[in-house]
Amino acid sequence: MSKIEFDRRDFLKVMGVSGVAATVAGCDMPSYITSEEGAEEVIPYLSPEEFVIPGVGVHYASTCLQCPATCGIRGRVREGRVLKLEGNPKSALNTGKLCQMGQAGLQTHYNPDRLTKPLVRKDGALAEATWEDALALIEEKTGPSSGLSGGRFAWLTGTISGHQSVLLKAHLESLGSSSHFVHEVINTRVWQAVCQDMLGQSMPRLRIDKAKMVLSFGADFLGTWMSPIHFSADYARFRSGEDRGMLVQAEPSMSLTGANADLWVALRPGTEGVMALGLANVLINKERMDASALPAAALELINQYGVSRTTKMTGIAGDRLIRIARHLKERSPSLVLAGASAAGHVGGYQSVQAAMLLNILLGNIDQTIEASGDFALPQLASVSGGTSDLSRFADAAGAGKLDAVFFDGSNPLFAAPNHLGLTEKFDSIPFKVAFSQFMDETTAHADVVLPMASALEDWGTHVAAYQGGDHEIAFQQPLMEPIYPGTRSFGDMLLALNSMRNPGSYDGLEDYYGYLQSAVGSIPGVLKGEDDEAINVSAWNRILQDGRLQMPVDTRAFTSNLSMDDMDVRDADPAFPYYLVPTPRGTLYDGRHANIPWLQESPDQISKVVWNSWAEIHPVTAAKLAVEEGDVITVTTPDGVLEVPVYIHKGIHVDVVAVPMGQGHEDYGRYARGRGVNPLKILQPGSDAKTGELALYGSRAALAATGRAGRLIKMGNTETQHGRKIVATITAEQQRRNEGDS
Amino acid sequence: MKVEAKTCHEQTHRPLFTWTRMWAVLVLAGLLGGLSLSGSSSAGELMAPPRVHTPPGAADSADEPLGPFPGVVAPEGTYEGKNVEQPIEFPHDLHADTNKINCLYCHTYARRSAVAGIPPTSKCMGCHNVIATDRPRIKKLTEYWEKGESPPWKKVHDLPDYVRFTHERHLKKFLFDNPDMSVERVDEVCALCHGNVKKMTVARKQKPLTMGFCTRCHEANDGPFDCQKCHK
Amino acid sequence: MSLVRNFIEDWSRYRRSIDEGGFHEYEHMWGMVIDLDKCTGCNACSVACYAENNLAVVGEDKFENGQGMHWMRIERYWDEPNIGNERVRDTQEHGASFMPMMCQQCNSATCEPVCPVSAAYHTPDGLNAQIYNRCVGSRYCANNCPYRLRYFNFFSYYEDSWPSPLDMQLNPDITVRDKGVMEKCTFCVQRIRSTKNAAKMEDRQVVDGEVQTACQQTCPTSAIVFGDLLDHESDVHKLWHKHQTRLGTTKQKKDNPELRGYRLYEQLNTEPSVTYLERVRDV
Repeated sequence: MSKIEFDRRDFLKVMGVSGVAATVAGCDMPSYITSEEGAEEVIPYLSPEEFVIPGVGVHYASTCLQCPATCGIRGRVREGRVLKLEGNPKSALNTGKLCQMGQAGLQTHYNPDRLTKPLVRKDGALAEATWEDALALIEEKTGPSSGLSGGRFAWLTGTISGHQSVLLKAHLESLGSSSHFVHEVINTRVWQAVCQDMLGQSMPRLRIDKAKMVLSFGADFLGTWMSPIHFSADYARFRSGEDRGMLVQAEPSMSLTGANADLWVALRPGTEGVMALGLANVLINKERMDASALPAAALELINQYGVSRTTKMTGIAGDRLIRIARHLKERSPSLVLAGASAAGHVGGYQSVQAAMLLNILLGNIDQTIEASGDFALPQLASVSGGTSDLSRFADAAGAGKLDAVFFDGSNPLFAAPNHLGLTEKFDSIPFKVAFSQFMDETTAHADVVLPMASALEDWGTHVAAYQGGDHEIAFQQPLMEPIYPGTRSFGDMLLALNSMRNPGSYDGLEDYYGYLQSAVGSIPGVLKGEDDEAINVSAWNRILQDGRLQMPVDTRAFTSNLSMDDMDVRDADPAFPYYLVPTPRGTLYDGRHANIPWLQESPDQISKVVWNSWAEIHPVTAAKLAVEEGDVITVTTPDGVLEVPVYIHKGIHVDVVAVPMGQGHEDYGRYARGRGVNPLKILQPGSDAKTGELALYGSRAALAATGRAGRLIKMGNTETQHGRKIVATITAEQQRRNEGDS
Repeated sequence: MKVEAKTCHEQTHRPLFTWTRMWAVLVLAGLLGGLSLSGSSSAGELMAPPRVHTPPGAADSADEPLGPFPGVVAPEGTYEGKNVEQPIEFPHDLHADTNKINCLYCHTYARRSAVAGIPPTSKCMGCHNVIATDRPRIKKLTEYWEKGESPPWKKVHDLPDYVRFTHERHLKKFLFDNPDMSVERVDEVCALCHGNVKKMTVARKQKPLTMGFCTRCHEANDGPFDCQKCHK
Repeated sequence: MSLVRNFIEDWSRYRRSIDEGGFHEYEHMWGMVIDLDKCTGCNACSVACYAENNLAVVGEDKFENGQGMHWMRIERYWDEPNIGNERVRDTQEHGASFMPMMCQQCNSATCEPVCPVSAAYHTPDGLNAQIYNRCVGSRYCANNCPYRLRYFNFFSYYEDSWPSPLDMQLNPDITVRDKGVMEKCTFCVQRIRSTKNAAKMEDRQVVDGEVQTACQQTCPTSAIVFGDLLDHESDVHKLWHKHQTRLGTTKQKKDNPELRGYRLYEQLNTEPSVTYLERVRDV
């Protein structure tokens, strides 16, 4: 073997003189580059654990609370600081993977705009107070001597589960109230209702990985729908191998899932169910599929949606409809999903129902839709939020039915459309307590603000609404000591509130950690044998190390109760010719991540816009309005006006204007405040008749050019590849020929 | 699992290195560059900055060099560090020399981590609960301990933030993988870069710890020469 | 002067291993495979990179000037309606094309020879390194990079990007770059080094899968595979082999031209260490 000596100094001669001078001199830098002695402090640990070694990272398992999916995380901790989050490989839900919102959990935790001290409203303004004063005020207003009871008191939270949910219910019970409003803008409530009604189980397991074709009506399962990271791993298996699955996405404006579809169909909003019935019609009448599983009423309905009627209503070409139906028949088992854009209409329930009917016709039940049963411990199961609770809450507040409200993990004043008039109604509630990490819109209107520990500083247990296979309790444990000593744990607060109502009820428990340990200890066979008195500490430590506790899976089979209601598709109002779609994205989510700089600077997956709002319109619409990219348009609904720059692309229905949700905060810290617009504010009234969920996708809008050029900051300046082979594409046929089993 | 959040052992992240400073270096280097082309020794000595501060009476016994030990070519270069005022004047000589306590007993992280680490205060108190409790310095230490605090030691040997030095690998090479050496003689290995700490009270910087100092040793002892090994 | 002659005669051989007909004995040759069919364009890799590598958030004004620091960025391309025989369509009916773009760790990198101070150079494990303390900010390298993935610190971002306590998150294994320094993806060199360090402390070799880059670790669809191309048992080597992509060539010779693996702009003789697998669409 020949080895040629390669001397760096010779190499540098070739490079030219200036290089030589710099690099050789670089070998002994003057002292101001070397750090001076005594300039920095180095403070050792006082009394560290044996395994803590400075300079060596240790990983701790916990649970991500950036969205309701509750993926497992592992935090890399060094010198007492958490530096990086990874997915927990032991979690059946996300198997070691994490999305961008999960990664950015660090910046929620280290956010410079966190609340650090309790605040109490005095003379109309929030002023700093001590914890003692704040709690005394809460005791005065909601304690046993306050006379408060029954439905006059309510909790308003985001999706909640695990032992926090148990304690919260206990607190409500102690007040004799059952008013727990659970608010979540991005939710799957309509899907759950349909599954419950038709299959007898609200959260069946969806086997995207087993499907050979997925037809999704606006279910953004790679971005925001249900459990995106779990579905992403399923999707990877769905796409690989000899039987590479085919994804067809039909929706009004392109979601991340739509961007990955083999066939993306621009659908007129609200006609998802019509398309599903039209497909069923083709499958039965043209493809001669066996429809004996369907009830007569459903068949009758399907027969009303022939190809020409479906085409007329949905705007999809007849040959395309027939082609999709043929694929569905050929590629069995398939899976039909219906997400937010299908459910967010006055007739949303029926649309999702029609999609489920298609699943039944295609024989997907028990193939790609598997029974998952209920969580073994119903008191810990997820209480999933929705928008119907927001309107119920607005009604209760408006009718003066509430004297005191506690709220946590939800920002209703940001998310509530103007037509609910929630801000005024909210202000009319005499006593409002915010358990909050940030000064968001709702917190700003509270009477008492209690600063909470971040998700990475707190204890908790969580149960995902959608369980990926194994049923698990997810454990949340602190990855570091609280940054601010003035913040407190939500669990500790729940214990304190309960003790306030029933003194002595949790005696003997030092804190929420102690409560959790004893509560988990009371689950049979987990930490104690039948006769054991004390808990098994090593079993407890193992649970914390894994971050997960497996629970037995309910093996109850589906029950079938098929029914089908007719579609409820509303006609367009000529004064408001466009449909307004408030797009959910897995970046700022429903607005809760607008205060995270990483996510503000993370380019949107479709438009690549950063730090701002934009309106997506089709080139045809842009031509009509005579606007170019970046020009400001007004989006007007009967409930308000937005001014927003446009992004023009073809991944949107011609009659749709899509404005992403998340921006438009009046408050919420330096990164969010006064940035972009909030489309949720101008949505029109209307809700799904069956579930009461707000018709978020049912608003009509008028568009007009303002003649002004706006500011649209985008990553990259080119929209196409200009013929370069950057992303090369081959057909599935070619791939199938080449890679059997990759 | 609760984690102590008391300390920050590692570098702070304030960038020390700026573009403008670099140009100053370049201009200076350009003037001297011609000189350095022919010789194999670096231009470093020419550029060694003047040391203005020599603490009176501090340098005598500490400057006594340790003899070279087998399996290593000791890096050249000396440096007269200034006296650093520590919260407690810790006598290295008393511990390491008089009482023959092994360096690794206190700086125990050195063989397991990139950083050697200042020993945790609990380690000090392990002995000084009972030993010499009447001395003023120990009283001061006990005061800190009872307050639940660690003394805010000053960093003596500090590298710029863009340099990654690893103690464990250097100890492995010079000590644990060196058949001619034993753990008892670890002080000789430490002394390569830290000087003869055994003869000091409060540690003082004795070696330049510049890149030239590092690279001369890497050259002599067959260390890696890949920039990205240390700079990243 | 034989060195100079060799140098001129066959520059790229200095970059190649002995196996490939070059002069170098490489310890490792870190390489990557990204399956564009699995990539969903979700951006998780990009944010993971921000978290791992102390990337500055520059704010909207500087982002607008193209000074964003996304070492790993997801480019999104729409289908061109005018190319090919297809009729002009009124929707993007095949979705979008996503391209995760980071430093391709070229084995014959165009950025390296133009650096006046050799701050950009090639390491014995096949990495295209950028030494921050050596960099003088000439920006020649960025101008010479055909992939546009070197990022220059036009400003000092420390104060604005990490207001306390955001700075507590900074990774101590990585330098925080200051004004005037060029930076780029390093294949998470700090992870490579610490894994190698751990392996050497135990007197063993690094095992395949032991080093994971931050983007690979978080990728929800496992579209990114990373490893040592010299280790014939590694997943990354097997994938390169399967798709018949090789280092040391400007044009791949494939028995089966339909195999999906390709390297971006390899015709420019940059010899990137990243193989992309073509996106697939069922039409």
